Amino acid sequence: MDFSSYEFDPAIHDEMFVAEGEPRDHCSAVYEALKGLPDEDLNTIQERVTRSFSQEGITFTVYGDEEAEERIIPIDCVPRLLALAEWRELEAGLVQRIRTLNLFLADVYGDCRVVRDGVIPADVILGCPQYRLAMRGVGVPNDVWVTICGTDIVRTHEGFMVLEDNLRVPSGVSYMIANRKAVKAGLRLLYRRSRVQDVEQYGSLLRQTLCELSPGGRPDPCLVLLTPGTWNSAFYEHMFLAHEIGAELVEGQDLLVNDGFVYMRTTAGLRRVDVIYRRVDDDFLDPLVFREDSLLGVPGLMNAFKRGNVALANAPGTGVADDKSVYAYVPDMVRYYLGEEPLLQNVETHLCRRPEDLEYTLDNLEHLVVKRVGESGGYGMLVGPHSTPEERDEYARTLRADPADFISQPTLALSRSPCLIDGHAEPRHVDLRPFVLTGNETRIVPGAFCRVALRKGSLVVNSSQGGGGKDLWVVDL
Amino acid sequence: MLSRSAQGVYWMARYLARAGYLSRLLELQVQFLVDRSVEEIHFGWKRIYRCMKRLPPPGEEFLPETDEFALADAFTLADDLTFERSNPDSVWSAVASGRENARQMRHCISGEMWTTLNAAWLRIRDLEAVDIWRTPEVFYARTRSEIHNFVGVADATMYRGVAWRFMRLGRAIERAQLAVSLLLAQIDLSRRTERRTLGWASMLRTHHALEAYGRVYGIDLKPDRVLDLLVADPSLPGSVLATVQAAATELQGLDGGPGVEADAAARRLAGRAEALILYDWPEASAPEELLEQVGQSTRDLHEAVLDAFVDYAIEDSPLR
Repeated sequence: MDFSSYEFDPAIHDEMFVAEGEPRDHCSAVYEALKGLPDEDLNTIQERVTRSFSQEGITFTVYGDEEAEERIIPIDCVPRLLALAEWRELEAGLVQRIRTLNLFLADVYGDCRVVRDGVIPADVILGCPQYRLAMRGVGVPNDVWVTICGTDIVRTHEGFMVLEDNLRVPSGVSYMIANRKAVKAGLRLLYRRSRVQDVEQYGSLLRQTLCELSPGGRPDPCLVLLTPGTWNSAFYEHMFLAHEIGAELVEGQDLLVNDGFVYMRTTAGLRRVDVIYRRVDDDFLDPLVFREDSLLGVPGLMNAFKRGNVALANAPGTGVADDKSVYAYVPDMVRYYLGEEPLLQNVETHLCRRPEDLEYTLDNLEHLVVKRVGESGGYGMLVGPHSTPEERDEYARTLRADPADFISQPTLALSRSPCLIDGHAEPRHVDLRPFVLTGNETRIVPGAFCRVALRKGSLVVNSSQGGGGKDLWVVDL
Repeated sequence: MLSRSAQGVYWMARYLARAGYLSRLLELQVQFLVDRSVEEIHFGWKRIYRCMKRLPPPGEEFLPETDEFALADAFTLADDLTFERSNPDSVWSAVASGRENARQMRHCISGEMWTTLNAAWLRIRDLEAVDIWRTPEVFYARTRSEIHNFVGVADATMYRGVAWRFMRLGRAIERAQLAVSLLLAQIDLSRRTERRTLGWASMLRTHHALEAYGRVYGIDLKPDRVLDLLVADPSLPGSVLATVQAAATELQGLDGGPGVEADAAARRLAGRAEALILYDWPEASAPEELLEQVGQSTRDLHEAVLDAFVDYAIEDSPLR
């Protein structure tokens, strides 16, 4: 692999190099091995990796004007490396954060001490569309509100930072495993020598975690994965995970509630369901409680849930804790609930609901990233440095019309990692999404869905916006 | 097993059996274009359209029986039966539907089955009639072979659970219905021609039964013997008897469905179709009437299976 024209930039944290041509300690063996690989070998590996996704049908669905299209997330075969010690640091931060967010959710749907004690203003929570009144006073098994969390982490020279906590129906974990399988098959010897931590046990950990939620500790619980259906963009992942955890893949129409219990329709009659790993948004879960026009949900499901007869992972209402306004308060929450200093930093965030923050945002639009509070997936955002004056004017108008709907953050110099572009190594910006599982304890596989902005200079890593994937190797070297 | 999953696997098998059967019909038909008479070519098209219960595209009415016309309209007809997206039974549509059902039920089939089928789909997904027309028989033979391959991979790798039963049931019912439908078309069309043997040899080839016929009856081709072999020989995998017996066997392998009455009806219908051939066929004076009855039984069987295992009334179901 040709690194001769690799553009090392000292202003940006590089995942492989500390200085031009000088790899980090844990990267040096892989760097030397990659450098020694003939271009044609690497191109063949890249082609094989891409082809394997197509053959396996590892796709996500994109909605065009006319019809849905199955697409492949482009994957770069050069792994991103993380030293085990760095990973342990990150892991500790993730555990601390999820403990906090679970305590916050129990509080915010319970006594609301966090508001009464003046840590977070009441209107931030009550004004959040993801705050579910239906969950007030509801207890959840083991006080676990967020069973599965996919935290978006970026790195700069200042270290790891949390960009977003995805606490509703985070996706991407299937790509973590698919990328691993494909890249491992391509770089066989290098993989073996690098002592890479395994991620493929994710399915069994997820199953164990979900089983721990079984109502009343019912042994050998019946698990199902509730999908919105085959046209959902993450359907491949739903199918993959159902298989991994040995659950039936169900749609709302397959379930029904009878006398406060949930059943699924099987070829041998109705079978009681104990735990639902739902990949359907709150709004569509139960037409009797949330959106009444929902055809994806199950009438009476919330009643069964409140009576403790079925567990839902994640619990309804967790969206209030990954709201982009609430996000700004997470470091304060860590101090408030745990009496600890946060191990993972937030990205500096300006809440446009505050007049001074709005003013700052409007004055600095060309330097900031502005996001809608309720949007995800890279939709509805403005990346200031990559925008035109006209786009900024237009965006400013929308922003002024409803400031509470926006936050702004500085444009981060996201770290970069070498990618195979046109046959040689070029740096591209990356982030990572590790998956945090919480049942009786918190479990994290040492790996992540690593996203990469494949377009030169781009900072947007979302797969719906032209991003790709990379395998993340946590190496013990 | 989730009812909707069972239904998905069942339909996957039906669509793929349909795609395989139609590919075989077209494989032979395009071979006819090379050296057969216009009469025979037209006979073949009519039989396929009748079997698939479809009308040819407007303007293709098989009238001016000249060589040029036969060769020219073959392309349109083959396209209509192979790649026409709006024809739900075209080879392309049937593979697409089979593959889509497999995609949705991937957790119910083996990984090898999925990749085998997906590879076949990726090959034909972007093809059009012009792409195959230089050697169309190669395309049809390959498609048929890929479906055979899928069935073989399933046999070697799929867990013998409820999904397996539903898959086999779907395949058996589809094959029974197609075989009955093709035989009815052949009987009716051959009565309308002066050449009484027209089409019977290709009936054998369609069902891979040419060698079997020679072994049982020798080289003298007689329509009533061909009919006997294709309807009532239990050793020929594609015979009507073998396919309805396969359906009955798979049904016996399933525990009773929650729709109790429909379940009983399904088992009765499968037994009835088998009995009609075993006991009534040898003395049937009007074979087409008996075949109609068998065909109707398999259509009713399809409905009864879905009512018994999928669309049953909730009140009837035991809670587990």
